Amino acid sequence: MANAFVAAFEILSFGAIIVLIVLGLGIIASMMGIFNFAQGEFVLLGAYITYLAHAKGLPIWTGMVAAPFVVGALGFVLEALIIRRFYAAPIVAMLGTYALGLIIRESVRGLIGGFYLTVPEPIGGSIDIGAMHISAWRFTIIVITLLVMVGCYLLLSRTSFGLRMRATLENPSLARASGISTPLMYGATFAFGSALAGLAGALIVPVFSLYADLGLRFLIQGFVAVMVGGVGSFIGPVAGAGVIGTLSAALPWVMAPVVADVLVFVLAIVFIKFRPQGLIAGKGV
Amino acid sequence: MGAVKQAIPADIGGEADVVMTEHGPTKQSASGQQVLPIVEGVVLVAALLAPLLLQDYLTVFATRVIILALFALSFDLVWGYAGIMSFGQALFFGSAGYGVALLARDLDVTNIFLVLPAGTIIGLTFALLLGGFLLLGRHPSSVIFVSLGTLTGSYAADRLARGWYYLGGQNGIPSIAPMTLGGYEFSEGPSFYYLVLGILVVVYLLCRFLVRSQFGLALAGLRENEQRIAFFGYKAQHLKAIIFAIGGAVAGLAGSLYAFHEGFVWPNMVGVVISTQVVLYVLFGGSGTLIGAVIGAVIVEGVSFWLSDNYRDIWPIILGLLLLLVILFRPLGLISFVLGERERVGSFGAKPRETKEKRNAAP
Repeated sequence: MANAFVAAFEILSFGAIIVLIVLGLGIIASMMGIFNFAQGEFVLLGAYITYLAHAKGLPIWTGMVAAPFVVGALGFVLEALIIRRFYAAPIVAMLGTYALGLIIRESVRGLIGGFYLTVPEPIGGSIDIGAMHISAWRFTIIVITLLVMVGCYLLLSRTSFGLRMRATLENPSLARASGISTPLMYGATFAFGSALAGLAGALIVPVFSLYADLGLRFLIQGFVAVMVGGVGSFIGPVAGAGVIGTLSAALPWVMAPVVADVLVFVLAIVFIKFRPQGLIAGKGV
Repeated sequence: MGAVKQAIPADIGGEADVVMTEHGPTKQSASGQQVLPIVEGVVLVAALLAPLLLQDYLTVFATRVIILALFALSFDLVWGYAGIMSFGQALFFGSAGYGVALLARDLDVTNIFLVLPAGTIIGLTFALLLGGFLLLGRHPSSVIFVSLGTLTGSYAADRLARGWYYLGGQNGIPSIAPMTLGGYEFSEGPSFYYLVLGILVVVYLLCRFLVRSQFGLALAGLRENEQRIAFFGYKAQHLKAIIFAIGGAVAGLAGSLYAFHEGFVWPNMVGVVISTQVVLYVLFGGSGTLIGAVIGAVIVEGVSFWLSDNYRDIWPIILGLLLLLVILFRPLGLISFVLGERERVGSFGAKPRETKEKRNAAP
């Protein structure tokens, strides 16, 4: 019983981490049609900022609060300078964002060296439920992920900003004709997606520690999750992330980790092949 | 700048009207002068003379570069000529490398006439399986799906190689026996260099024949506008699967040479790192020209070798910046400095059209 509970918690918390990372990726992919290869590096940057705050002697949570804003601002600048040249061609966008990611990743590698740097958890210790102990920080991540998900959903579905964003996605010319500044909306969307990646990086760095290839590890999982969930809506990528995250965390409990690792990807690709529109097709939020 | 916005595709999974081919080149070889054979000749002569001028350890390096150029050729066939973005080309390269390494380790097969065909067939088989799965089917696959599918395949293979004890896990398979021809062993040095160069030249000529044939014409059409080719009655998906398999075979050949030259194989060889590296070569050199792929591999590896002594840390950053600049301002690669658009597309017997090229060009 206790084991099953711990397993369930592990699966849930890993699923939450994947959802957190995929949120930004999914929003950029769905709203802008760009598969952002630099997203993993935005996660890395968020983690790096948190580490910097810690290294400078500031409380860790200041770094965690700053990370989304700094990364979001960077995303806004990059969108204005570079990304907006790629909108017409998704493949070129992949290559261009890959180059961007390479630059960011190698810069961070130059700054931290080839080390694994640890950042302590801002909320340490564990929560005890009877005889079972679960990590307090992982629990916090689950809670924050839920809050961010609900927040994003409300932002997109209930605010005029979200409405303008979705209008820009669905019909850019009509949106422009209605007086919406589409370049600004694209910039804001990209910045928002980057900020989410920065937040994800900041939150997961105590769990995974900081190293230059941190982002890369999640990037492909993120892409697969977006494709499984379905591009074009907000809910799709989140659902996909839930499925992929749960599978990646759950399968190693029942089979050899190597097989499980590969099996998740194979299953995902086969699924997408036969259902290209993803789990949740269609428009909506 | 604002004009670019209008081109946002409503269906992001749809046809990529690839911008790479649509930026106008600066030079039009209006006189009809042929630049391409000159470039090819110069590269060939330089490659033939290289071992005479280079020190021994540089010859070993040059051999590696030639093998990587062969690998780049395989990616160029797939992306530059057919417009299939294969982010997982290393899957075929590396699996062939692992295949011949296992042949040498477990079965003591090192004869060149057995291992190189074996590597080629391994590459071909994997490419047929993956390409067939990704590209064929009732509904045409989106470019995004194919590129992410190949990327995922390569990543999954990397993970599998890392975790599978039979394949040596993290360390790969070390100390592979040298390739043999009768009693002769190919070890690093001029003989291996000329062997590899000979293979590259043969493969290059075959590819050159292929892309200038009627099949190549159909491929060019596919790259420029897949839908139109489909309406003409070509089986676009089959064409794609065929060229993907050919690319896989060439990658397999390169991978088996690489395994024997380096003497070991390791998980990176099937993984994302090498997969993206080959993309860099071709983008730098110029996709859509065979010689561009070769030149790109030589330049990237050469500069990287030269700089990594002094600027090891910042070289990858410079590489990223250069790549970004090439993508933004020279989408046709370095070769486009000397090669006009007309010659790059080439003539297949019909007059080349030029009106289409300016349609989407960024202001």
